[in-house]
Amino acid sequence: MTIMEAPQATRRLTTSKAMVEAIAQEMERDPSVFYMGEDVGAYGGIFSSTTGLLETFGPQRIIDTPISETAFIGLGIGAAVEGMRPIVELMFSDFMGVCLDQIYNHMAKIHFESGGHVQVPMVLTMAAGGGYSDGAQHSQCLWGTFAHLPGMKVVVPSSPADAKGLMTAAIRDDNPVVYIFHKGVMGLPWMVKNPRTLDEVPEGEYVVPIGKARVAREGSDVTVVSLSLSVHHALDVAEKLAPQGIDVEVIDLRSLVPLDREAILTSVGKTGRLVVVDEDYLSCGVSGEVVATVAEVDPGLLVMPAQRVAVPDVPIPYAHDLEYAVLPRHDRIEKAIHAVTIR
Amino acid sequence: MTTHTSESTTAPARSAPQAGEQQRPEPAVRSRLFETMVLCRTYEEAILREYHADKGPGFDIGKGLVPGEMHLSAGQEPVAAGICSHLTTDDAVTATHRPHHLAIAHGVDLRRMTAEIFGREAGLGRGRGGHMHLFDPDTHFSCSGIIAEGFPPALGQAFAFQRRGTDRIAVAVTGEGAANQGAFHESLNLAALWKLPVVFVVEDNDWAISVPRTRSTAVASNADRAASYGMPGHRVEDNDVEAVYAVAAEAVARARAGHGPSLIEIHTVRMWGHFEGDAQGYRPELAEVPSHDPIPRYEQQLRADGVLDDARVAAIRDRAAAAVEDAVAFAKESSTPDPASATDYVFA
Amino acid sequence: MSSLVLFPALSKETPDAEGVLATWFVSEGSTVAPDQLLAEVQVDKVAAEVPAPAAGVVHLLVDEEAVVRQGAPIARID
Repeated sequence: MTIMEAPQATRRLTTSKAMVEAIAQEMERDPSVFYMGEDVGAYGGIFSSTTGLLETFGPQRIIDTPISETAFIGLGIGAAVEGMRPIVELMFSDFMGVCLDQIYNHMAKIHFESGGHVQVPMVLTMAAGGGYSDGAQHSQCLWGTFAHLPGMKVVVPSSPADAKGLMTAAIRDDNPVVYIFHKGVMGLPWMVKNPRTLDEVPEGEYVVPIGKARVAREGSDVTVVSLSLSVHHALDVAEKLAPQGIDVEVIDLRSLVPLDREAILTSVGKTGRLVVVDEDYLSCGVSGEVVATVAEVDPGLLVMPAQRVAVPDVPIPYAHDLEYAVLPRHDRIEKAIHAVTIR
Repeated sequence: MTTHTSESTTAPARSAPQAGEQQRPEPAVRSRLFETMVLCRTYEEAILREYHADKGPGFDIGKGLVPGEMHLSAGQEPVAAGICSHLTTDDAVTATHRPHHLAIAHGVDLRRMTAEIFGREAGLGRGRGGHMHLFDPDTHFSCSGIIAEGFPPALGQAFAFQRRGTDRIAVAVTGEGAANQGAFHESLNLAALWKLPVVFVVEDNDWAISVPRTRSTAVASNADRAASYGMPGHRVEDNDVEAVYAVAAEAVARARAGHGPSLIEIHTVRMWGHFEGDAQGYRPELAEVPSHDPIPRYEQQLRADGVLDDARVAAIRDRAAAAVEDAVAFAKESSTPDPASATDYVFA
Repeated sequence: MSSLVLFPALSKETPDAEGVLATWFVSEGSTVAPDQLLAEVQVDKVAAEVPAPAAGVVHLLVDEEAVVRQGAPIARID
């Protein structure tokens, strides 16, 4: 797997277009790649994950399925076992309940149970996240749950370039890779405008290694570890606080499995102050894992207790003001940064 | 011997052929069916022996050379022999937590399978999977401990075979209790919709652990459900290996010809418990079960038809015993996995 | 010679319907190639991409999130 150190020509794309470009380039390169899911054909994916692909590749390779997640995710598993490279879409991460057995007991375990003799080179894509009043069953992130269950890699891009690079990496990986895209990072014209959803994306082959975090913004006063849309918010807050003399370092995890613990420790070792921002539920998940990473190596690295900004342990409310009270947005991130930087 | 067929078209159902009307297979085929069943039974008897040898005093399930749950297939051999006769090792077979007869009939290497059951490094899964999670890429055999969930991956194998323009098929086996699980229904619909080369097999052994079919299933037969999913359904009564063979020939040919899936339900018998250690207090007909053993019955039939005699039966039994004891010895002599490697093989 | 880039007619039934210029993918004054993605526009729930009709230097005539009538010019390529 190559890492393009000096990206070639770039142009600006939204995250969704960058993701689609990666899929298209890999489908051109490898005839065994196909994309399957609900409304991924003519509709182009509910959150624009496959826009335009049907016209290019046809219905044999861009396949609309019935509402049968257990059956079609399992179908992807079997096709992968036989050497194809399926990309299977679970429309919302929230729908994992209807098909979780295929995901965690089969997709994630077949390689191990077979003593490494059988591979499942499959990508499971899914949209996640809230902020537009879609309610408790359509606004969750849940990447912590996937990360908790052994046997599947989990990637969560925040930027257009990473969306392309991680998708290429995921398709080429011989393991099952769960690829989670937040609806708010896709740059969809029918969602709240977010300038960070549009950015330079290398034109040609582009691979981002799975398992490596990225320093999204270098800083010296406090480490904010985050992923997905929360990275955008963290960067916004960092820009706001810079003139106030607080220099924020933002670490974009990009992958949850493998988790780049070294990047976390390096940054916290430098700043001594840690804020974790995670749109998944607070307890027993990603934010706790990040703090544990520091605590079990050297809690002395921290000069202040760590702060976690996550969705509290409640179902996500429908009413706008209630929803925005539980999401880990700018106001809560800023408050947490102040809490760890008071001298 | 009776079969019941439901077609998904408006054509009238074929009436059940009368006993004796059905074409008998060639003697060589009949002898092979018998030999496969004997091999399966001999194997299960050996595992039964090995499993219980060191569980005492009392019954400590995690103890001994073969620890854990054990689900043996004695009585269900006609399903495996009848279906797998029509397959090559290029075809896929997906089984359940009760997989041994199907693995054997499909040609999985006996030594590596046994080593896996004994949890050894030389096993199919290097001791990581165990008896319910046997994976053999050489024969495209797999099984799952989650009943009915083996169906969807079998669809995927069939999909890949179809995409490559082959006539290879996938056989997906489950139990009558599992035919009420969501995965069963989703899989039947999707396979029919996409005309996947699958043969769905339901082993109706009357008991989903301790719950009889009459108290789990709203319809008399899963063969009747097949029509609702757009595929033919056949039910084989009496655990009759040659009826299984005949019905499977049709279903396999149909799948190979690109005409899509079928469902075969076989009324078979689970001669032992759901798992070893199951006292089966819930089973009123327990005392009669040995009299329904399909193997002596078939042997009697083949002797009467001149296909078998004492010498041939003895030879078959000796071959089976030799193969099984060789596999058991291989397993026992194989090294156990190193605990330091316990977290290996998570990712490729 | 310059060419005008028009807001596409996404709604056939209502030719003078209004939509939104959702996203500019290029910045003012940048050089574009033919077919290069210039913008994404939206009329009701339908989104569409606007490619460059010619090569040249692009001048943006409307802002992002501006409401624009179908057929109205949104950019000029010199």
